[in-house]
Parts: sequence; structure tokens; C-alpha cells
Amino acid sequence: MSWVAIIVTFALVDNAILARLLGVCPDITEQGRMKGAVQIGIAMTILMTVSSIGAWAVEDFILAPLGLSFLQTPLFLFLVLGVGFLLELLATRVIPGFAPAPGFSMAEVGINSASLGIVLVVARSDMTGAESLVAGFATGVGYFLVTAMMIAIRERLEVEQVPRFLRGFPLHLISAGLLAYAFMAFDRAFLARILGS
Amino acid sequence: MAERPEQGGHAALIVAPAPHVGIPGSTAGMTWSVVGALAPAAAWGIFMFGAAAVFVLVVSVGTAVLAELLCCLVSGRMTLSDGSAVLTGLVIGLLLSAGCPLYVPAAAAAFAILVVKQSFGGLGRNWMNPALAGVVFAQLSWGASMARWLPARGVAESGGLPPLDALRAAFSTTGWSGRTPLAVLASSGYTFSGLDATVVQWVNAHVLSIVGVSLRPGFFDLLVGHVTGAIGTICVPLLVLGAVALLRRGVMRWQVPVAFLSSFVVLAFLFGGLSTGQGWFAGGAGFQLFSGSLVLTAFFAATDPVTSPLGLRGRWVYGIGLGVLAFVMRFYGSLGDGIPVALVMGNCFVPLIDRATPRRQPENARKGVA
Amino acid sequence: MKPQGITGGSFLFENPATALVMGLCPAIAVTTRVMDALWMSAFVLVVLVLSALFMALIARARVSESGEVQAATLGRQRLGALLITATLTGSIEVLLTAYIPEAIAGMGIYAPLIAVNCLVLSGAERATRAETVANGVADAVASGFGFACCLVLIALVREVLGAGTITLFPVGSFGGTIAVPGLSCDPIRALGLAGGGLLCLGYLAAALRSLQTRRANAMAGKAGVQ
Repeated sequence: MSWVAIIVTFALVDNAILARLLGVCPDITEQGRMKGAVQIGIAMTILMTVSSIGAWAVEDFILAPLGLSFLQTPLFLFLVLGVGFLLELLATRVIPGFAPAPGFSMAEVGINSASLGIVLVVARSDMTGAESLVAGFATGVGYFLVTAMMIAIRERLEVEQVPRFLRGFPLHLISAGLLAYAFMAFDRAFLARILGS
Repeated sequence: MAERPEQGGHAALIVAPAPHVGIPGSTAGMTWSVVGALAPAAAWGIFMFGAAAVFVLVVSVGTAVLAELLCCLVSGRMTLSDGSAVLTGLVIGLLLSAGCPLYVPAAAAAFAILVVKQSFGGLGRNWMNPALAGVVFAQLSWGASMARWLPARGVAESGGLPPLDALRAAFSTTGWSGRTPLAVLASSGYTFSGLDATVVQWVNAHVLSIVGVSLRPGFFDLLVGHVTGAIGTICVPLLVLGAVALLRRGVMRWQVPVAFLSSFVVLAFLFGGLSTGQGWFAGGAGFQLFSGSLVLTAFFAATDPVTSPLGLRGRWVYGIGLGVLAFVMRFYGSLGDGIPVALVMGNCFVPLIDRATPRRQPENARKGVA
Repeated sequence: MKPQGITGGSFLFENPATALVMGLCPAIAVTTRVMDALWMSAFVLVVLVLSALFMALIARARVSESGEVQAATLGRQRLGALLITATLTGSIEVLLTAYIPEAIAGMGIYAPLIAVNCLVLSGAERATRAETVANGVADAVASGFGFACCLVLIALVREVLGAGTITLFPVGSFGGTIAVPGLSCDPIRALGLAGGGLLCLGYLAAALRSLQTRRANAMAGKAGVQ
């Protein structure tokens, strides 16, 4: 697949939240301020990028040759955790004044279905290392975009007017559902046409 | 919809009913004006398609009103008189073909009112345009059923498809030729009405022969709306008439539709031909403008004050963004004629646009600048 | 290398309804067919109960006088829970792939994601705080059945309305798919899309919350009367 195809597919057509339904987590959006969301978005993108290429490497060089692909689930889970922890350590050392917002530390929000999900998708596909890297990055960008949209939507909701039982996470999910319908504009046929022309 | 006095951080919400400052009259008055502005186009659609169109409109408006009534009963507040349910139902009906099965307008209207509008708290609190979201829901569910086109009055030979769909069908075959959409349609055997042939011939012979230009058959039909298609979208002049009336009354702001339509036209003209191999500057912008739900959406959905940005700059950004999305979806998308889904996608970005663009102060807004 | 960061209440939910909804999130992708939802529910139930059992047996929390669990212990516990769920999920996945491949085929990448399912992890953690091992396991079983009911309900709605069919297990001459008359001609396909799953889950979450509130009111009422 060409890089444009990978980026459009993983960011839009198969968006982590709106198409694959991963990472629909109230943690980020319920407590969310946009600043925290930006931080988490960037962090998740880096995490997904690094984990993707890490998973590709582990799968292609260790698991597949040894026939140990069935170890993917536990192995990749700890791969993502480890990468997340290392990234946070690195950021704390390298970036002056960096401190994760309370509740947003990598170890807490890093290991969610989105990061593990993309890692599994990448490992089970037959993409090359560079393609896996781009795929992970694109997924992170798509995830970031949708999270930002959902927080912006959340900020403009007038909670007092919302029917009582829909307040909070239920309405969040409904908003996500509407976003998902909008993103159906980006489907495989669209991808084919964009690439074909 | 709330007014947000500061940027960044946690927004302080001031509860105020939609729409915002600067628009004269009450919300209800405004909504009924929009209904009135759509009436000519609706009437033309009924004239063209007959009883079937009436059924679709009645089911659409009726379901919307019933859904709103249901919510009123549950919440205890009577909101029917503000006309928004009627307007939502009307817009949905106008965007549908007269031949679609009646469960399509019913489901679209129910979805629009119950899910997109009332779940968020009712008028002014939704962030996605209910009518267009309902249409997108219908397109995703019943795309094939929605493409049942009825022949328009006096248009017997058109082969049953609206010009835009016929154009796309032509491109998917190998036997087409020509640089403009009307030329391509002619080459694929699509015929317009006899009235169109007469008028175009007369104009070519008596008026344009002086200049040396000739119009292709179909020009008159498209211009006037004498084609098959969705009930309310075929007659562009009547839609524009209604829109101008609203603009003059100050009910509608001009920035979004102008930005929307201009950016679409420019992009279509420049790049439209690329997707079909016709090259640059060959997109048939005029044809695209008069086809499908573009004009209705631009004037009556993109201008919805609830789901468009608050600030002036935000509206320009939104309008241009919609034009880009509409261009992409019209030429490369696969969901109907691409405009409803483009608008709904644009709605998704409005909260972000509002965060990013500065707000006008209320005083300037009242002067009509915003 | 002690993971200091894994603290806080992300996994443990005092509110079982919240845990349930959060656990349902990554699973709604399989609710396009009832059969897949049934397999997913069974898978989740097994992982949930077994990890609760292991956690209760191995990792009883050392609670100090004030009732707080040490942060370091919590972090270790959390890692332990993840290890247990990951191993369980991976093993069951391998077994299913070998013996019932259509189950795994139906679930796709959402099967291994059970390892990070919030409901499973919160069930495992609750088991460490239960009074007895049996209590912890019973609580997990109840959670699992609640999850199963909700997931299958969503799947029924999405498949019946969205595809006009009900897909069950093929038994004998029964092919496995029941077509719903009327709806199967022109179903509401939008419900079978990702957006439909999110919408169904959203309204289900609202219904659960209303049920919970009603139950809480009823119990408060009873307590008040007594």
C-alpha cells in the first residue's frame, strides 16, 4: 500500500475510535480539558507509532520465525506498557518541566484497547516496518483528531437541558455515534477513488 | 446555544436560547420564515412529481412533529410552536426523491428529532444538523431505495435518472466523450425534455448566434429545474429566491453560503475534471452547482445558526471548509450526491472552529457585522 | 523497575454499571451478529471468572488500618491482573483457534483485546477485596452475566434491525441464520455500522443508569420505611 493509502486508511477510513470502536474511554473525555487532550493525543500518537514498529519487529523477527505467534496477546500488551513507561521516562528526563497531568500518566491511559488494538492489527497484517510505522502514526493522528472533536463537542453541551439519564457518558457515546456516521464519508470506495485518480 | 465569552480553558456557559444576538425577531418567527422560504421550491417539487411528493413531505413533516410531540409529553414542555420540527421534516422531505418508500422519510425524521436533536436537549443544543443527519442516516441505510426516481412532469425521455446520476453512470462506461457534463450526457444518449430542446434551439438560433456561442440541450431544463431528482432540490432559482428573501430580512447570514458555494465552484472548475480524466478546468462547475442538494444545503442547512460557528472568521472558515468537503465528496465520494455527508462532517468540526477563532463582541454583532 | 505510575482509580469502579458500560465499549464491534456476541460473552465470562479466581487466591490485598491499599501494592496488583488476563486471553484464544475457528473468526482482533477490558480488570481487582474467594468469584460471575445480557441485547437490536437476520449456531439442518420477515428486505443498515453500535450502547447506558437509579431509590425507600 502506498503511504497516502496507509495514512488515509488508518486515520480516516478505519479510524481507531469511529470505525474500529477502540479507545472509547470516558477517562479522557469526561475529565478532559482540551489541554489534557492535546497532551494525551500527542502521547498516544507517539506511543502507537513506536509500539507499532516494535510489534512489527517482534512479530517478524522473533515470533513468526519461531512459530510463537500465539504469544502475541500477552507479549504485545507488555510491549505497549513498556514502551509507554519508557516514553514517559524519556520525556521527563528530556523535556524540562514535563509532568503528566494528573490522571493522564502514560501508564494509566496508555494501555487501552486502541493502542493494543493497533499493535495487533499491524502485527497481523503483512506490512513492512516502514508501513507499520506510518500506520501507527496515522492511527494516533486519527485518534487525536476524534478525541479533540469529542472534547470540543462536550464543552458546548448544555448539561441541564439534556434528559437526565443521557447526561455524561451516554450522550458522549451518542455524539461519537453521530461522528461515526459522518466519518462514513470516508469509506473504501472513497479511498479507491482518491487513489485511483 | 450558549455564548462563550472567553477562549481556551473551560468554557463558561451562559444559557441563552438559540439563535444568537444580531438576528431580529424570535426564534419561532425565524424558523417559520425559513419554512416559508422553502415553500416555492416545495411547491415546484409537488408540481413536478405529484401526489407522491406530497406523501413524502407529509410523512416526513408528520413524523418529525409526532416525534417532537412525544418528547414534549415526556419533558412537559411544549415546543412545537417554534416550528423547528416542521422545518426539520420539510428539509428532510425536500432532500428525498418522490419515489422513495415512505419508511425512509419516517425513519430519517424520527432519527433527526429523537437522536440528533432531543437527546441533546432540544432546539439550540444540538451540534449536528438534525435534518441532514437524518438524510445521511437514510442514505447509509437505504441508499438503493432512495435512488428510485419518479419521472418529472413533461420529462418523458430522460431515462429515469437525474442528470448528476446519469453523468456518473456515463463516466462509468467507456463510451462517453466531451469536455462538459452536458456534452458527456449527450454522448451517452441522455435526452432532456422536448420543451428544453425547443427553447435551447430558439435561443441558439436567435440570440446566441450573434455571439457565436451555442448552448447544449439540457441547459434550460437544468436551469429551470425541469428534471427528475429530489423533491426540493431541482429548482435552483426558487431556492435562491427564498434564500434572498431571508437574507434581506436579516434571518440568514450570507458568509457561510457564499464561502461554501464559491469555494466549491472554484475547486470544481479547477480540479473537477481530474477524477474523470477530463483534465484541468473541466469540472463543469455550473452543472454541479445546479445538480443535487448543493444549493439547498448551502442556503438552508449550512446557515443554521445552531450548528454553524459563532464568530465571523469562524463562519468563513466553516464555509470554505464545507466547500472543500463538498467538492471531495461530490467528486470522489460514494454516498449519494455527497453534499449531506459533507455538511454533517463540517458540523463535526464546528466546535473546534469555535474554539480556535475569535468571537465578535455582541455590540458588533447587533450592528449586523457578524 | 517499579511502575510508579499505575495508580489511581482507572480500573476499579465502585459503580458496577460504569464498569459494565466501559467493558462493553471495545466489544460492541462484534455485535453485528448475535452469534459473535454470544461467543464474545462466553469468552469474557470465562476470562473474568478465572482471573477473579486467580487474583482472589494469589493477591489478597493487604489492607492497612485505615482501609487504604498501598500504592505500590496497587501498582503490582494491577500489573499482576494484566498479566493474568493477558495469559488467560492468549491461551483461550489459542484453544479456540484450534478447536472452534469460526468463533475467533467472528471476533477478530476484539478477542485479544479482552485482556485490557475494563470490566474484566475491575472484576479481578474487586475479587482481591472480596471477603472470601467465593464472594469474589460470584461477583465476577454476576458481572459476566450482566455483560452477556447487555452485549446480546445490543447484538439482537443491531442484527434484527440492521440486517434483518438473527445469526445463531448452525445445528443439524438449521443453517444458523433466521431471516426476520419484512425487515430482511430493506433493513436499517445504518444500525449495522460502527455509528449504530455507538448509538445503541449510548442508549443502553442511559437505560442502565435509569434502572440503577430506580433500584437505588427503591432501596433507599425501603431503608427509609424501616
